[in-house]
Amino acid sequence: MIPINKIINRTIFYIFFVIIGIIIFLPLLITVFASFKTARQISVDFPLKLPSTPHLKNYITVFQRGDLLTGYLNSLILVVFTLLINSLLGSMAAYCLSRFRFKLRKLFFFLFMLGMIVPIYVTEVARFSVIQALGLYNTRGSAILIYAAADMMQLYIIIQFVKNIPVSIDESALLDGCSYFQIYFRIILPLIVPAIATLATLKSIEVINDMYIPYLYMPKTSLLTMTTSIMRFAGTRYARWEVLSAGIILVMLPTILLYVFFQKFVFKGITAGAVKG
Amino acid sequence: MSDHISYRKKQQYTVLFAFLFIPTILLLLFVIIPLVKLFEYSFSDWNGITKTYHYIGFDNFIKVFNKMPDVWLSLRNNALYFFIHLFFIPLEIIMAYMIDKKIRGAGLFKTIILLPFIINGVAVSYMFSAFFAPGFVNGALTMILKNLGLDFLVQNWLSDKEVVNYSLVFVSLWRYSGFHIILFLAGLQSIPKELYESAAMDGAGEIRILYHIVLPNIMTVIEIVLFLNVRGALQVFDIPFVMTNGGPGHASSTFTFYTIETAFKFNNIGAASAMAVVLFLLIILISKIQNSLIHGRKFLYDSN
Repeated sequence: MIPINKIINRTIFYIFFVIIGIIIFLPLLITVFASFKTARQISVDFPLKLPSTPHLKNYITVFQRGDLLTGYLNSLILVVFTLLINSLLGSMAAYCLSRFRFKLRKLFFFLFMLGMIVPIYVTEVARFSVIQALGLYNTRGSAILIYAAADMMQLYIIIQFVKNIPVSIDESALLDGCSYFQIYFRIILPLIVPAIATLATLKSIEVINDMYIPYLYMPKTSLLTMTTSIMRFAGTRYARWEVLSAGIILVMLPTILLYVFFQKFVFKGITAGAVKG
Repeated sequence: MSDHISYRKKQQYTVLFAFLFIPTILLLLFVIIPLVKLFEYSFSDWNGITKTYHYIGFDNFIKVFNKMPDVWLSLRNNALYFFIHLFFIPLEIIMAYMIDKKIRGAGLFKTIILLPFIINGVAVSYMFSAFFAPGFVNGALTMILKNLGLDFLVQNWLSDKEVVNYSLVFVSLWRYSGFHIILFLAGLQSIPKELYESAAMDGAGEIRILYHIVLPNIMTVIEIVLFLNVRGALQVFDIPFVMTNGGPGHASSTFTFYTIETAFKFNNIGAASAMAVVLFLLIILISKIQNSLIHGRKFLYDSN
């Protein structure tokens, strides 16, 4: 016998489940259907009617007229370099801040903390002049260095992982004649690979989805990212709804795939950030 | 022996220097210097183009609040995002609580609910532009309502000044509510299960469990979500930028949108910097007020 209040609870849960599911999937399904329809079908069909014959022309048009391939390539380059730089610098900084007590330690924490409170978007008003002064305007370096520069959340999470490694391991390695450099490369780094994988997943999604930094600092056509290429395409005369829908789906796909395959890491990262940060 | 120790100390400093040098430089160049410059520009009349500029004291700040009426309009729109999201937070906590009960299907639900947060925000904005488009160009929502015989509900979702902000807030809720639920869920999962068991033994109902066990134990996460809500609501930018470009007129402009427009469209870096400084201070101020409010509450039920 299941108690009556449990049945009520479950019923309420499933009602919410269905309603929220519909709200989430409705616009997505409409867009998927629209991307396979012709201009005529889209203007007469009910939005939730399945496309009669899957019509691939919209996808072909997006690839021909949009800069989607350039976008995929540039986003991939940004992700690879950001991840490499970030995991190396982040883990090094985390190692220093959690293992050593030094005079400027508090100051470092404060500076990294500032990086988190500083409002995004509006800071670009002043960052713009720095980027130009450094000659980074219209280069991929602008976005890569900005992504690498401030990520307090990430640093916090790696610090938690480093703290969980017993200091006695470091000490016995020191007695065996290891240097601090060797301790980092041979002991700490291999042990925090799961943390890095977690952060790499979150960071990839963030970099791929970021709009404003590439929009502002990488306007050149050959430097369009996935996100800015769809913005550019939306402004052209080829961007009728059914074609734009195909573009929307193509831009959504990479992060959805990342999420499907690395879901475990996404949840781990968010949990670590919320509970420990 | 002391030689050995000083050798170790020296090696420590070498490691510190080698490992922290690049992160520090990056942080200085791309975060700290822009922040300092932001404050500097806010007292100047720089237009972003000329080589020189003058310092004009607090003129920009005075101008922003006295001579730019759209600032107040934008702030009012930000408030709409803030309060509607705030209104949904209790519901989000209850949803997280239900997912935490491990009912069959809860895992799948968890996956689905975070999906909107993961999907590309610009793509989402274009998707909703089509969704909210007027009927004769495939406005999905309008077509659905008409087919359901609900014609009277049909609005000019994105072109009516009175409606547009609600449409945009809906997109924001669609994107971020699931993320909040997952954050609350993370907090809930850190509560020891024995607490629930002993409460159930005492015969406490769901509402009492929620109020006396769940809420006090997820205070840290509630604080985080409230902070994210302040920051998010004040920084709304990409949704109006892509969907309406702040229009019609300035009806769906937000504070951040207007700041960016002032800087890069009207080339008024001075005023835009002053707005950015105001935004920075607003985020800190409102979070502080919020925190002291919820801590006041906490004190209330600690005492009974």
